[in-house]
Amino acid sequence: MAKDQGVVVETSFGRKVGRYALLAFILLWCLFPFVWLIDTSLKLGDRALNSPSLTQGPFGWDNYISVFDQGFGYNLRNSAIVAGTTTIICITVGSLAAYALARLPLKGKVLILSGILAVALFPSVALVPPLFELWGNLGLLNTYPGLYIPYIAFTLPLTIFILTTFYASIPKDLEEAARVDGATAFQAFYKVVLPLAAPGVFAAAIIVFVYAWNEFLLASTFAPRDLVAQTVPVAIAAFTGSVEFQRPIGTITAACVIVTIPMIIMTLILQRRIVAGLTAGAVKG
Amino acid sequence: MSATTVAGRTPAVRRRSGFSDSALARIFLSPSVLVMALVAAFPIIYAVILSLYLYQGRLREGFGGLENYAEALTEPRFWDAVQATMIFTVTSVAAEFAIGLGFALIMRQTFKGRGVTRAAILVPWVIPTVIAAQLWYFMFSVTPGFVNDVLGLERFNWLGQPGWAMFSIVFADVWKTAPFVALLLLAGLQTIPDEMYESARVDGASMWQRFWYITMPLLKPAILVALLFRTVDALRMFDLAQVMTGGSFKTEPLSMLVQRFVVETPNPGLGSTFSTLTFILVLAIGVLFVRALGRDFVLSTGGE
Repeated sequence: MAKDQGVVVETSFGRKVGRYALLAFILLWCLFPFVWLIDTSLKLGDRALNSPSLTQGPFGWDNYISVFDQGFGYNLRNSAIVAGTTTIICITVGSLAAYALARLPLKGKVLILSGILAVALFPSVALVPPLFELWGNLGLLNTYPGLYIPYIAFTLPLTIFILTTFYASIPKDLEEAARVDGATAFQAFYKVVLPLAAPGVFAAAIIVFVYAWNEFLLASTFAPRDLVAQTVPVAIAAFTGSVEFQRPIGTITAACVIVTIPMIIMTLILQRRIVAGLTAGAVKG
Repeated sequence: MSATTVAGRTPAVRRRSGFSDSALARIFLSPSVLVMALVAAFPIIYAVILSLYLYQGRLREGFGGLENYAEALTEPRFWDAVQATMIFTVTSVAAEFAIGLGFALIMRQTFKGRGVTRAAILVPWVIPTVIAAQLWYFMFSVTPGFVNDVLGLERFNWLGQPGWAMFSIVFADVWKTAPFVALLLLAGLQTIPDEMYESARVDGASMWQRFWYITMPLLKPAILVALLFRTVDALRMFDLAQVMTGGSFKTEPLSMLVQRFVVETPNPGLGSTFSTLTFILVLAIGVLFVRALGRDFVLSTGGE
């Protein structure tokens, strides 16, 4: 008897260890490359290129100083402005549309939703040649609007899907009570639904911001070099060393760390919201 | 004014007082529809128009009809790009799905540490693809040679030969995206009630049977949605190839081919032709998925 119990405990213990080993593998998969990135960014001179060892120094902050000497501060500013503008406009415009789709009577709802889905499936590269011509004529190359206008168009579908799901999950009674008390449809939306949907709006805002912050194809085509509008991903892809074929590993990894650390912290703090937004968008889409 | 008619049966009331509401719906929708029409739909039409003209550099030479399409379809570089895009899409989506499903099943089984893992899983998703590309470029590079060091290889040139260059790009994409797929599938797994597994276990179903007859069918909608978004996303891949190989060694995807004809060797006519062909290809694959998805939704609601 006692032996049997022992065996049972042992197998479940073994299974537990196995599970945690697998969990640890997932953590390692997700996080180890960043450990390597930080480590490499702190290596001085050509050390980083010569040795794969994680512990071989000398270490120092030189790469970080050199990143900002190359104007990376402007890139951070540009990305913040472009991503911020995209988020504010997209959420404002998208939340209205989502409310209409979730709550208001509408003819041709299926048609509108299919149209939005079609835009969600759009390959952004299809816009590169025509928009390049248009932006050239309108003087929008190397400007902020040249970037955030297409970003808004591309993030609207997902925003609308996420917010429609969130609005639909808010109990109708509250709104109807407000309507019975004499509120107009707009007041019901603005005073009752919107405050309750705040978590959903926030989740959508994070996802839109991340998209605009990370976008590379349009940014590298419409604002490739000029520090007036060049964004972070374009700068990181374009860092060049003194020698043509030698990529400056120290500067690049340092720039990557500067961008990555705040994003990781933000993700860890807001993870619940982000997960809720991502799954809502996917389930609806 | 509607409140005075029939209080209590509010949904009906709201419908009946419809006029102002549906007008409001149109007003609320119009900015979104306008932006998407002007910035997404109109340029597509403009691209089709541009693709009918012949250019010498940036200068328009005249109307060419379908000449650009004839040139594009007989251009070996176009077919190389189609091939590279397809190889990348099929291999990366398959690997991401397999690994993502594995991760999701592990995370469903464990309760302690799930929060931490779920936060960690978001990290590869949140960072710019360009950063992931630089990261894995240096990991795979001969100098400093971290991957070679781990595998005990001497100066193996991952990025400098056909085949392995594509492998490296697929690997970087799988690293970045498999966790995201896991997140979507985990959300789907969490909607399956535990009681179903319990009763199956009581009936003597093996672990494999439980996976195959409970998990897979009930997870199907989540799987199809994840596959749809991943496939469409993989078809427009650009960042990884641009940073890791610059398109050399048979890794130039369609997005990069199009961008080359806009920036490096500008030709708005031919560039628009390539972009229109890419658009048709991606949208066709997307529509196929949506149709499968739609039928599945109909079946699942009809069955219950």
